[in-house]
Amino acid sequence: MPIVKLNNEYLTRLTRVDIQTIRDNLPMMGSEVEREEEEQTDVQYFPNRPDLYSAEGTARALRGYLGVETGLPKYSVKPSGITFTVDENLKDIRPYLGSAVIRNVHMDNAMIESIMGLQESLHWAVGRGRKKVAIGIHDLDKIEGPFYYKAAEKSLEFVPLDYDVPMSMEQILDEHPKGKAYAKIVRDFPLYPLISDAKGNVCSFPPIINGELTRVTEDTHNILLDVTGIEPRAVMVAVNILCTAFVEMGADVETVEVDGVVMPSLAPTERVVSVDACRKLTGIFELTAPMMAELLEKMRFGCEVIDEDAVRVFVPCYRSDIMHDCDIYEDVAIAYGYDKIPATLPPSFTVGKPHPVQKLYSTVRNVMVGLQFIENTPFTLTSETVSYAMMNREENKKALHVLHPISEDQTIIRTDILPMLMESLSINRSRELPQKIFACGDVVEDMETYPKMAAASIHAGADFSEVYAVVDSFCQMISIPYEVKEGDDPAFIPGRCGAVFCCGKQIGVFGEISPVVLTAFGLEQPTCAFELDLRGFVDAE
Amino acid sequence: MDLTVNEKRVLATLAGKTSCTDAELAELLESPAESAVQWSHLCADRGLVVVEKQVEKTAKLTEEGEKYAAEGLPERQVLNTIEGTIPMKELTAHPLSRIAIGWLRKKNWIVMDKGMVSVNHEVADVIGDDEKALKELSADAAGTADLVKRGLAVIEEAVSWNIKITPEGKALADAGLDLREEVGTLTRDQILSGEWKNLPLRRYSVDKLPKRIYGGRFHPNQQILDEIRDLLFEMGFTEFHGSIVQNAFWNFDALYQPQDHPAREMQDTFHLREELPLPEGWEQVRDIHMNGGNTGSTGWGGDWNPEISKKCVLRTHSTSLSIQHLAKNPNPPLKAFSISRVYRRETIDPTHLPEFEQLEGIVMDEGLTFGHLLGFFKEFFGRMGFEEVRFRPGYFPYTEPSVEPEVWVDGLGWVELGGAGIFRKEVTEPWGIKCPVLAWGLGVSRVSMLRMGLKDLRQLYKSDIDWIRNSPARRV
Repeated sequence: MPIVKLNNEYLTRLTRVDIQTIRDNLPMMGSEVEREEEEQTDVQYFPNRPDLYSAEGTARALRGYLGVETGLPKYSVKPSGITFTVDENLKDIRPYLGSAVIRNVHMDNAMIESIMGLQESLHWAVGRGRKKVAIGIHDLDKIEGPFYYKAAEKSLEFVPLDYDVPMSMEQILDEHPKGKAYAKIVRDFPLYPLISDAKGNVCSFPPIINGELTRVTEDTHNILLDVTGIEPRAVMVAVNILCTAFVEMGADVETVEVDGVVMPSLAPTERVVSVDACRKLTGIFELTAPMMAELLEKMRFGCEVIDEDAVRVFVPCYRSDIMHDCDIYEDVAIAYGYDKIPATLPPSFTVGKPHPVQKLYSTVRNVMVGLQFIENTPFTLTSETVSYAMMNREENKKALHVLHPISEDQTIIRTDILPMLMESLSINRSRELPQKIFACGDVVEDMETYPKMAAASIHAGADFSEVYAVVDSFCQMISIPYEVKEGDDPAFIPGRCGAVFCCGKQIGVFGEISPVVLTAFGLEQPTCAFELDLRGFVDAE
Repeated sequence: MDLTVNEKRVLATLAGKTSCTDAELAELLESPAESAVQWSHLCADRGLVVVEKQVEKTAKLTEEGEKYAAEGLPERQVLNTIEGTIPMKELTAHPLSRIAIGWLRKKNWIVMDKGMVSVNHEVADVIGDDEKALKELSADAAGTADLVKRGLAVIEEAVSWNIKITPEGKALADAGLDLREEVGTLTRDQILSGEWKNLPLRRYSVDKLPKRIYGGRFHPNQQILDEIRDLLFEMGFTEFHGSIVQNAFWNFDALYQPQDHPAREMQDTFHLREELPLPEGWEQVRDIHMNGGNTGSTGWGGDWNPEISKKCVLRTHSTSLSIQHLAKNPNPPLKAFSISRVYRRETIDPTHLPEFEQLEGIVMDEGLTFGHLLGFFKEFFGRMGFEEVRFRPGYFPYTEPSVEPEVWVDGLGWVELGGAGIFRKEVTEPWGIKCPVLAWGLGVSRVSMLRMGLKDLRQLYKSDIDWIRNSPARRV
């Protein structure tokens, strides 16, 4: 989730409230204050509210929440006369363009940082790392309309941001830091997206880098915004959030004609919502239509009470998270205050009951603790090395491999539990003997998750007879009718290994662990152990 | 006074004597001297005898010392070769000169002038204390310490004990002592015959701590999980359990997580090569993602690819099990929970693990509200021992309203313990669920850490056996 750095002085100027009140109220609006510093406050926002990712957006919401200025923010737009043409060849590359012109911009350093931070957060949250949406902000006075969004030859050259020599687009992908970072989004296309002005000056190579020509500085007073992407709704979300943030700064927004479509409108959308549905969802039983309207105005919605049960809600253009009426009802609850909602226990009468697998695990635990064993709860992620190589066993072909393991120790999901116990004995080498340990839990083979248990005992006298007696006692207590045949599991010493059968099927193995295995785990004392598949002993649900 | 038979034997032996040494006592008791001393000390603790330590020092010449005792100290031997005034060079030619010259100068036995050496008879003719001690060695002779320093003699200490009975001990001995052997273990015959009544049974000291028995143990973390399970059973919840491997459909799509959601990417989720088929009714989920379907929602827009949805992952949250449990049981009322391992692609460190336990719960019934969810949390956390609970707005793609409950922990402040909310229509609609569903997830490993004061989550899964051995049992 994005962490947004808010300049305290700028934020309080915009909000018209002191910084402490702001910090106290931010969590209750749905954010987390990560760090408080003399000059800035770092806030973590949820991914559904990209409109808050700037001092401007935060201040707009805070003014409403704190009652400084409530209701729908009004935006007026007039035409700029600027047009954009989109090349049809971009259809399979990066087809959508959103644009706007911002006039009368007077940015100090804090404002530039706020807008740059917003751009970066939007690239992450809405743009999915620039793949879905990418934003370019240009000094309009350095270029001249009409503008062209086209698919260009890779060899086309321009001076990218932070450079003073022209580079080809292909070269940018190879050499420019931003090019290297985002190359994979466009690399495989035959042509690359490019935005240029009437004279052929390059504004940007979306989604990679802007041209140095249109760099935004404190002397920039008019801005051309380009937002390109592969999903039209997300493109307009970014345009609306950026334009409305500029308005908070005191600038004016003008429309651009993209292939005949005039944008942005910055107009709210309308929804008629039900007071009763909101009461039923939130549990705010005292809610009335006027009260609901008032609460929503605190959240910067526009409202008209239609009747006792209906309120017409105007949703600001930057609120991309409002997908359903319930999203509006949540804002009612937030404005009302979660802590004020009457908290009562659900009245539903039901009878509690454990799941058969968990019930079996509880039984196994009780029996094994009674047999003097200490429970372990090891990881289920393990490696072929621990599970098979160190156990002197063949790899289990049914083991599931994770595609991008994070370390060599966690490459598969366990198919057995005994290797984890051997690891545990290894960790506890310096601890007093005897050590008798067990674990029960889920293992996975192919796609099946099923229950197993294993136990191990290490001390100078640990032997076949000891573990045979434990297996016998365990099976008797769990009601497993078992038979034992000679086993040949290579993890155990030949001639000191038993295979446990139930109803003609092998369900387990026990015996004295082979010194080959002991040595692999760094163990120096005789160890006896067993493992059982418990699939057949789960009660019906 | 309860004395062991050995203590009694010491008293009986000493009763007729004024005092005796440990060696004498040992001989009389026919026991090793160490035992005689140990028993005497036990008697001394009770004020029945007095034990005095005696240290005898004896001096002994070393091999080098023996040699000089016969031939004289090196400086004396060299001195004896000086006749009149000789050049220094001549003196250094003597085989013992390396040891001797230093001592000659230190003892002021010679006079040196411009490379010439002569004997300082006034001093050198007096036989020194060290020389006397070398001839007649004793530990307290004046020159012995110098010899020890020069490594020519050593002092040896011999410890012996002088043991004397006190008037109290004497009185006890005179009153008569039962010197029969004590009995350690009772036999069946002794119990049945009644002979036990007259046996001198050995008494045990309560001051000697027993060897600790560890026995079998439930894992401390499992104890907390079982406490939570019992609490939920008491509140009427049914437990569910499910597969570790889920396809993206149940793990993400059915929970209205968009297909390009960052949490679904490789760096956060363990993906598998395997695929699982989509369940019946998947088209409705697709429509909801793309345009809201029949839920009144706008949906996320964009494309929705069933192939992505089939791909398997290690479940990243047990909400994937909740939604399947609901799909199977769409009729109210339903209260259910699961505590399951969940998997996140995190590098292991003290507070992050790639797998951990998550508690997941759902309550479905007619007329349930967000207020009921908050009420449930107050009750649940209260029973877990967290008195103060507050509710912060939260965000999850599958719930609305959403909340992050926090509990107050002294020393830490407000600690977030999970997330919750009411399932969105986009989530419940495809499965014919018509009632509100309250849903919550809780990181129980965090609860365990808080409750047990652990600093490192790994202790829960790779445990020090002594930590388990010494953890208290759960009150049931």
